[in-house]
Amino acid sequence: MAQSHHHIIPARTLALVFGALLFLTLITVITAQIDLGVLNVPLALAIAGFKTILVIFIFMALKYDNPVNMLTVVLGVVFVVVFLALTLADTEFRGSMGITEPGTTESASLESSP
Amino acid sequence: MNSADTTLKHYFVSHEQQFDAAKLGMWLFLVTEVLLFSGMFVAYAVYRSWHPEVFLQASELLDWRLGALNTVVLLASSFTVALAIHFVQKGQNDKVIGFLILTLACAAVFMIVKYFEYSGKFSHGVFPGAGFEPHGIVDGKDYSKYDIPFAPQFFSIYFVMTGIHGVHVLVGMGLFGWLTTRVARGHFSPQYYTPVELTGLYWHLVDIIWIFLFPLLYLI
Repeated sequence: MAQSHHHIIPARTLALVFGALLFLTLITVITAQIDLGVLNVPLALAIAGFKTILVIFIFMALKYDNPVNMLTVVLGVVFVVVFLALTLADTEFRGSMGITEPGTTESASLESSP
Repeated sequence: MNSADTTLKHYFVSHEQQFDAAKLGMWLFLVTEVLLFSGMFVAYAVYRSWHPEVFLQASELLDWRLGALNTVVLLASSFTVALAIHFVQKGQNDKVIGFLILTLACAAVFMIVKYFEYSGKFSHGVFPGAGFEPHGIVDGKDYSKYDIPFAPQFFSIYFVMTGIHGVHVLVGMGLFGWLTTRVARGHFSPQYYTPVELTGLYWHLVDIIWIFLFPLLYLI
């Protein structure tokens, strides 16, 4: 019977990725203690995103995998972005659309709406 | 083709094709899992953008050290399950059993930490929904000061997100227990180890969800 031709990721590579993930967790914790203003959230999300890429590409072996699996993942991410972007496009700008008169504040229009 | 080979279904041409089909199916399932969680992440994003100061204040009640410990534990379990797949591909089944049991142990530690976090919150009136009535003093923090508008929303989101994540961890533990017995019964070989591979993919996704939950709920 033929041996499978699956890519076997060396244990050393897996250990390096594990080390990198622990290091990035440490960076996340340290940077969260520092007040970076509006940058705290994007930075934490960027680090989490990079950790996710490491897990998906190496631990889940997507880097060595059939391209159709990559397509599936990318489509999934695209739909999450659409979901998040369109929802926030609504919730972030509620009450702003009807404001046409100069000097009208957003908070005033929110209070008058039912 | 060996007719005694029961691991290859008759409707597949080869092990390779069967493996690829199963894996694509698993990735599709994982995308539906991502979409399930994304609904909760979107709820988090909306409430946070509406009440950022409440989220900052309420998250002080979560112990980031326990969250960090659980992050390390889950990352370690992702590493051990990746090693389990590494060794099943090499046919070293004794090591596969070892690493699967280690993974199961990490998952158990995660759930035990979660149990202490939840029971600590419940004993001070931090419940999801209408039962929210924080009281008592822990680590110098007066819980009654956190009875502010929209704090219940933060904790409802916290309990639902970590709760559904926790259910996934429990399912993973069941799967690892089942896999361990199957490896012990000699069901897997470098040629056929699809259930180990797919459970590994599932487990890494559970890890990825936590990679986002930890900073969003505990840190920022």
